[in-house]
Amino acid sequence: MGRIYEPSLPKLMEAIATEARGMKGLDRRNFLKGGIAAVAGLASVQIIPKASASSNLPPNLPKWQSHLGPGVVSKPYGEPAEFEDLQRRTVPWLTVDAASSISMTPLQDLEGIITPSGVVFERYHGGIPNVNPDQHRLIIHGLVERPLVLTMDDLRRFPSVSEIRFIECPANGGMEWRGAQMEALQFTHGMLACCEWTGVKLSTLLDEVGVKPDGKWILAEGADAAGMSRSIPLEKALDDTIIAWGQNGEALRPEQGYPLRMLNPGWEGNTSVKWLRRLEIGDQPWHHREETSKYTDLMPDGRARRFTWVQEANSVITSPCPEKPLKQSGFVEIRGYAWSGRGKIKAVDISFDGGVNWERTELKGLVLSKALTQFSYRTTWSGQPWLLQSRAIDETGYVQPTLKQLRDERGGWSIYHKNSIHTWNVMENGDVFNVQIS
Amino acid sequence: MFRSLKLIPLLLTMAFSVIVSAGPLGIGSVATPEMIAGWDIDIRPDGTGLPDGEGTVAAGEGLYEAKCASCHGLFGEGEGRWPALAGGEGTLDTLHPEKTVGSYWPYASTLWDYIHRAMPYTAPQSLTDAETYSISAYVLYLNDIVDDEFVANRETFARVKMPNEENFYVDNRPDSKNERCFENCADPKAFEIVTTINGLTPTGHFKEDSGVAANHYDGNPSAASESGISKEKNDTKIVLSDKATLGKGVYDTACQACHNPGIAGAPRTGDKTAWVSRIDQGMDVLNGHAINGYQGADGVMPAKGGNMSLSNDDVINAVAFMVELSR
Ligand code: HEC
Ligand code: HEC
Repeated sequence: MGRIYEPSLPKLMEAIATEARGMKGLDRRNFLKGGIAAVAGLASVQIIPKASASSNLPPNLPKWQSHLGPGVVSKPYGEPAEFEDLQRRTVPWLTVDAASSISMTPLQDLEGIITPSGVVFERYHGGIPNVNPDQHRLIIHGLVERPLVLTMDDLRRFPSVSEIRFIECPANGGMEWRGAQMEALQFTHGMLACCEWTGVKLSTLLDEVGVKPDGKWILAEGADAAGMSRSIPLEKALDDTIIAWGQNGEALRPEQGYPLRMLNPGWEGNTSVKWLRRLEIGDQPWHHREETSKYTDLMPDGRARRFTWVQEANSVITSPCPEKPLKQSGFVEIRGYAWSGRGKIKAVDISFDGGVNWERTELKGLVLSKALTQFSYRTTWSGQPWLLQSRAIDETGYVQPTLKQLRDERGGWSIYHKNSIHTWNVMENGDVFNVQIS
Repeated sequence: MFRSLKLIPLLLTMAFSVIVSAGPLGIGSVATPEMIAGWDIDIRPDGTGLPDGEGTVAAGEGLYEAKCASCHGLFGEGEGRWPALAGGEGTLDTLHPEKTVGSYWPYASTLWDYIHRAMPYTAPQSLTDAETYSISAYVLYLNDIVDDEFVANRETFARVKMPNEENFYVDNRPDSKNERCFENCADPKAFEIVTTINGLTPTGHFKEDSGVAANHYDGNPSAASESGISKEKNDTKIVLSDKATLGKGVYDTACQACHNPGIAGAPRTGDKTAWVSRIDQGMDVLNGHAINGYQGADGVMPAKGGNMSLSNDDVINAVAFMVELSR
């Protein structure tokens, strides 16, 4: 991720000032003063949503039922219903230029574990190249027996695989290292998506070129203006790396690397180089800009971790969330996603009191390795404030850490890999706010 | 007989592609040295990949000023929000770490590689090898890593040692050990609740009036952000002047985003220590700074907080409000 938060710079100041203009503050004192006592036992409040009047409602005949609708192929490539508002969104003050920036997935509006291709978060370092697939080539060379140049047609002849895997920017949540900042799920956790990817295993391609015995690392390079490049160790390449051309049943979207990308399941998104044009096999890593200046994690002692590839287990409650407040008292299913770069999610726990007491949730639907996994908890809400948290446990036994545990280890400036337990403050009126407990 | 049988399939495949791969599946064509040479642009810390040719700091100065300084600043300090390329030495273990080529990057080869592949931002891969040597040398010079006599070529460049090289180590996660506890896992009395900074989140997509959760206040702007869920702050009552009372509304819309949390170098309203020497300058200076904006030692105060629709009196009232709370 580019520059997360840059103090002392005039343009940022202007941006903050512009965004802050005209915004009304909500008074939160009541909750803060009420404190934990309120959480424990508050008198029930009935909250009932406003009913909307419409001539389409029973017992009337809805207007869409009284005439024919458009026929087949009125839209050869369909799109969401006009009433839906599924959109990627960005935080304008985050980065200096849109061609080197990030947008987020609307997690609050998603159903199930597959992210529709059109709203998968974007991260570019030099914008989206417009690659003609007929003129695109993948060259594999370096410490190999048979350097190869492959067309898209060549690649599709290889035995293919399809896998559902999440992809996450390591800066997901990075704005929140030093304090709660973002009042929306889309911005706290939206640098995350999960798709079905189709392509050839990199190990198959490596068999085809024949890696020489001293070949230990692979440089993956993109055909974008940034010439994105990352060093990938051979073990990962031989394990589960995919060279993908398909995404959710069709060709990759340009935003996701059309016509060809690397996918390193469970690893920080930046390693999954898009618009892939070249793989060079070498005996050492390259230490390029995106694995030195960026995507290294600065620790409080001034030293930095490099090659921090894996996305550790993480989870977040997606309903309720700031965008999806509780609108009605009574039965509520609390839902969310958990995911781990080390494998399958084993369990997810939930807390209503900021992490004092925890309950087990139920995992729903497909539970796949390195994929978004849904969890669910059924309860009733009667207008009591909650400090809602979720805690993921993966198949290695790793338990998602608290923010304090992460800060104690890493301080507040490491930008990347903030996978700590997240807190939503559900208010008496059902509104949901992002808070941090320390 | 035996010979010709083997030849036929070979000739057939030759008709389809130039030179067939001899790999197990026989897919793809041989990448020729010419093809590879055009795309093989990467440089490694040991100097592998550095091309022939050379460049100098002196030649780099003019090239840098023409092609790079508009974004990265004449001295590498970064114009506006474009990245800085120099400075920040000794800041990595402080609360304001500045990561630049000089303070952070472990290898000089990365600089050559990156400038050549990705810069200038709007014209990647447009620099010649000699230009890349010169500009890289100049950026190193801006960081006091080489002197002005430095001549960069394959041999000298690979020998440049970066000051921060030793301070990187391989990922040692998992580093945190949480336990799967279910009862009494934390002490609610010790909770400190931190809320978000008002105005940072674009919330238009889900809140009709774009109102956001605030660190709101009642005579003490920082009360909300500092008080824990079980800790309550005893506000001292402050009686505001008429001017300051008028200024509260202006402050809420145009100033609190920075001055409530005290972000980006803004003195926090109510923080007496942060304000004492400022107040000593006198109201005229404070009003002038707030109306016209200024670059101070801690950050940039935009003119009228960035809201040019405010009148001078609005701003003066807001300053009165801030000062009365911070005295
Ligand atoms: C139009 C503005 C612009 C110009 C002109 C420009 N750059 Fe950049 N530069 C950028 C941006 C934006 C980035 C960050 C790109 C990213 O990571 O997404 C950057 C990044 C860099 C970095 C890496 C900084 C870091 O800390 O990781 C270096 C080094 C650099 N530029 C050198 C140069 C040189 C040398 C030139 C002139 C040949 C140049 N740039 C011209 C905008 C510019
Ligand atoms: C985008 C952030 C931002 C906004 C919005 C903002 N300020 Fe500031 N303000 C700053 C910063 C940063 C400083 C400190 C600059 C320094 O001294 O280094 C500052 C300093 C000040 C000072 C002290 C001046 C001095 O000489 O010490 C006053 C008074 C002030 N601001 C008033 C206001 C008023 C009134 C508003 C609203 C109309 C406002 N500010 C809005 C960022 C902001």
